[in-house]
Amino acid sequence: QRFRFCGDLDCPDWVLAEISTLAKISSVKLKLICAQVLRDLLGEAIEYDKILKLTSDAKLESGDVKATIAVLGFILSSAAKHNVDSESLSSELQQLGLPKEHASGLCRSYEEKQSPLQDRLRACSLRLSQLGSVRWRVDYTLSSSELQEVNEPVVHLTFNVRDRECEKMTAVPVTLSANKLWVLLAELKQAQALMNTLL
Amino acid sequence: MLLVLSAEHRAHLDCLPRAGGAAVGELGRLALEQLRRGAAPRACESAARKLNISVDIIQHGVEGLVYLLTESSKLMISEVDFQDSIHVLGFSDELNKSLLQLYLDNRKEIRSILGELAPRLPSYHSLEWRLDVQLASRSLRQQIKPAVTMKLHLNQNEDQTAQVLQTDPATLLHLIQQLEQALGEMKMNHCRRIVRNMK
Repeated sequence: QRFRFCGDLDCPDWVLAEISTLAKISSVKLKLICAQVLRDLLGEAIEYDKILKLTSDAKLESGDVKATIAVLGFILSSAAKHNVDSESLSSELQQLGLPKEHASGLCRSYEEKQSPLQDRLRACSLRLSQLGSVRWRVDYTLSSSELQEVNEPVVHLTFNVRDRECEKMTAVPVTLSANKLWVLLAELKQAQALMNTLL
Repeated sequence: MLLVLSAEHRAHLDCLPRAGGAAVGELGRLALEQLRRGAAPRACESAARKLNISVDIIQHGVEGLVYLLTESSKLMISEVDFQDSIHVLGFSDELNKSLLQLYLDNRKEIRSILGELAPRLPSYHSLEWRLDVQLASRSLRQQIKPAVTMKLHLNQNEDQTAQVLQTDPATLLHLIQQLEQALGEMKMNHCRRIVRNMK
């Protein structure tokens, strides 16, 4: 059977298996654990001790606690990934066997944080490099070894490019004459106009 | 299969009968620790002080034991062959029995440590991907050119490398088809027969 929150594919076996573990926790505590898992997905620190305290009533072993966090993380991030609204998510989770109160609690947590979660996933998407900053300086060449009177303005540009992987900034220096700078500006303005039509 | 012990090796192991029964146990323990965690000069020094023998002799004895154990475990020699191999050292029966016991008790662990020393090819860690559409370039406007950009994360002996690849959808479909064919090979009779025999 196909589920929207799994990207119109079958639900993975391990998720099916852990639904029964989720049902062991009370629905109120499940909503609080969801809040912690959402913190982790949004890049804030997860408070593992709080989760341990919340699961202690259900007498889950440490393996089950980790499985709970993993399955909640999968459901929430996968639903955000495929832009599933919270009612559809709730009905699909109930089809998988999650009790109604648990599903609605989970989906309420999801609904609150759906937008920030999708923004975060968008920011984490594959990106090869990123422009950090641009610095420039205009010089005036008076003379050179080739010609005694040059009298030409020249611009030095330094592009600081950040490599996504190693968080390292590489500086790419470029020197342009006035004419070349005009050409560069014209081309970039055309590209910007095209981008604006898409925004 | 018999182990051939070099003269130098025999000289190193000569310290064992001099050290006495209890010391042999201590040296055996040091040898195993060295296999698990690497050389520990301070442990050898304290053993030397306890047994009242010079540090160098203890070091040689431990190294000799390590080599004896790894060679025997590597070749998986039988009890009889092990006994015959160390018989040439001319040790007492009791010492021979302790050495044999040391070998048999730890053979499996030593083999698993040796198994991890084999060189490994880079293996798959994760794959990030992105689907883009090129709409325009400096030379040509009004285009529609889809492209899939992938970052393949590889693991090699705790070293992480990443490879960036880009392809158009047609090549990607071909790639998927080839990989599915490769997976399909596992279900052919030839592969099935081999897998059955290996179990």
